[in-house]
Amino acid sequence: MKYHVEIDGREHEVEVRERLGELEVFVEGERVDLTYEEVDRMGQVALRMDGRSFGLSIEGGANDCNVTIAGHHYAVRVEDERERAAHAAEREAARHGGVVKSVMPGVVAELLVAPGDRVTGGQPMLILEAMKMQNEIAAPQDGVVGAVHVAAGQAVGAGANLVTLEAPEEA
Amino acid sequence: MFDRILVANRGEIALRVIRTAREMGIECVTVFSDVDATALHTRMAHVAVPLGGSLPSESYLDMDKVLAAARDTGAQAIHPGYGFLSENAEFARRVEEAGLAWIGPPASAIESMGDKIVSRRVMTAAGVPCVPGLTDPVESAEDARAAAADIGYPVMLKAAAGGGGKGIRIVREPGALAGAFRTASGEAEAAFGDGRVYLERYLDQPRHIEIQVMLDAHGGGVHFGERECSIQRRHQKLIEECPSVVVDEALRAEMGATALRAARAVDYRNAGTVEFLWSGGEYFFLEMNTRLQVEHPVTEMVTGVDLVREQLRVAAGEPLGYGQEDVQFRGWAFEVRLNAEDPSAGFVPSTGTIENLRMPGGPWVRIDSALFRGMEVGLNYDPMLAKLIVWGPDREQAIARMVRALQELNVGGVRTGAPAAIRVLEDERFRRGEFDTHFLEGFDLTRPVGDEDRVVAAAVALRRRNLARRLAMGPGAGDRRDWVSAHRGAATDYPVRQSPESGAGAPQR
Repeated sequence: MKYHVEIDGREHEVEVRERLGELEVFVEGERVDLTYEEVDRMGQVALRMDGRSFGLSIEGGANDCNVTIAGHHYAVRVEDERERAAHAAEREAARHGGVVKSVMPGVVAELLVAPGDRVTGGQPMLILEAMKMQNEIAAPQDGVVGAVHVAAGQAVGAGANLVTLEAPEEA
Repeated sequence: MFDRILVANRGEIALRVIRTAREMGIECVTVFSDVDATALHTRMAHVAVPLGGSLPSESYLDMDKVLAAARDTGAQAIHPGYGFLSENAEFARRVEEAGLAWIGPPASAIESMGDKIVSRRVMTAAGVPCVPGLTDPVESAEDARAAAADIGYPVMLKAAAGGGGKGIRIVREPGALAGAFRTASGEAEAAFGDGRVYLERYLDQPRHIEIQVMLDAHGGGVHFGERECSIQRRHQKLIEECPSVVVDEALRAEMGATALRAARAVDYRNAGTVEFLWSGGEYFFLEMNTRLQVEHPVTEMVTGVDLVREQLRVAAGEPLGYGQEDVQFRGWAFEVRLNAEDPSAGFVPSTGTIENLRMPGGPWVRIDSALFRGMEVGLNYDPMLAKLIVWGPDREQAIARMVRALQELNVGGVRTGAPAAIRVLEDERFRRGEFDTHFLEGFDLTRPVGDEDRVVAAAVALRRRNLARRLAMGPGAGDRRDWVSAHRGAATDYPVRQSPESGAGAPQR
């Protein structure tokens, strides 16, 4: 089985082959000699690879996880080849959407735009209060506000839809 | 000395106070909100009183509830920690009116220093140098624009009643002033119920240097030297150290004397911190924090003084019993604040459950933390999870020790600023001591720097594979042990072994 691993935006391919009950691991097509042990089923991993020893911590779901090695953090997305094929179609469809989502949980402190407003890239559209700090949420590009999905005072979770932007009409 | 005190706080600072109190044979009463029913400060107390609610205003900020808890449990004094009610003069007054000791400065001193405009006037009168700026707050963007033109850009907007970096904005050009005023004033209104903002000149290459003072009720007072807190992001301190590379013995004595003069100008008592901005050899009064500070441990590491113990002694009416010449400084200490935030996504708050927790250890490593595995990190409270403090005989060794400790640390389940701290500590300019409060602005902390991609990729792929197999194989299958790859198999006692003769590798337990 091949796995496509994206680490902080960098793509890698890992292949795991099972041959005669034995596993062979290839990173970028190159065979590596390693041992992998899950210490506690809670994300602690003991890994020996390339003659070095690593204590990793992995938290998260099957496809999205966070890895820590020696204080450094890696945001990782992994798909096996079947998942990759299935997800490719979804991603293509999502590319044409224009929904600005919340990157953090918080409370909408103030709305600065209304449907129909023309906005320019970088223009603040609303103020999101999180951890008692007010953060301006700016338009990612020029456009026209199609819909506002939140109201002032509303609590939103990370990933919640905030504002739908539509492409500006040609004058 | 008290037999029983109430700690009106939560998190690591509540534990900090409880620890010293226990060492002194003093019982601790803690208070807790609904979401903190299983928190460590609740569990480590002798008596824990539920306040109900989950919002700070319903619990830790509710003076009536906290005072009732003290009365009902027979506590003789209240320690406010930092944040919450610690700099609330009305609360300090009510504590004393209730016949309890307030482990902090007099209410009048909190009032004078808490209002930045009043404190400026008092400090100027006492001959303490202040930063050029307005002595009166502005209430509108138009007034702010006019004032900024007089002071000269860049200007800083600050909440008239404030602290903790809230309600602060820096404006470098007139065009950005109106927007900055709106958000600063809004933040101040939300956090302190006072939307007034004042302006001052922003100093070039300033360094944040603060002096720890401690005064008793008998006229005694000492300073415990400086802390440098120039490594800040949006005015939230990230890394603090004691001493500072720009403060020598003579300047320490001078700034210490100035800080004590500032404290005495408001009849200060107990622990306090006088914050200065240092720029090109000059220093200016910024504000006085009328409480124990988050970064107090670095001072403790270098002076060997337990500041909470001194606070309790002073509040109980004891004289300090020593003078300035008895305060000794030894070595170098650093503190890194671990906040629940994601450095690679612009430090947005991170929430979740602490799934993994590996704390560093070893010589001269101290952790002030209220973390535990299974803890929920939400948005109800301050994002600071823990503080990591190290000491070393000199700055270089202390930095190396902090990097080592941060590499050992793992807080799994939420993101923390630890990777960003490692990058700062490994930076050459930081190591040479060449930095100011803008240091982090020129630092792209969003870019990940780990270079173990091959290792990560292999581990994650194998974890993915194991997860899929566990799912496919049903209950019990998840207990299957792991495997090793071919080159190592036969000679060693690994859990899964290949038998070359049979050709049928079976798991051997």
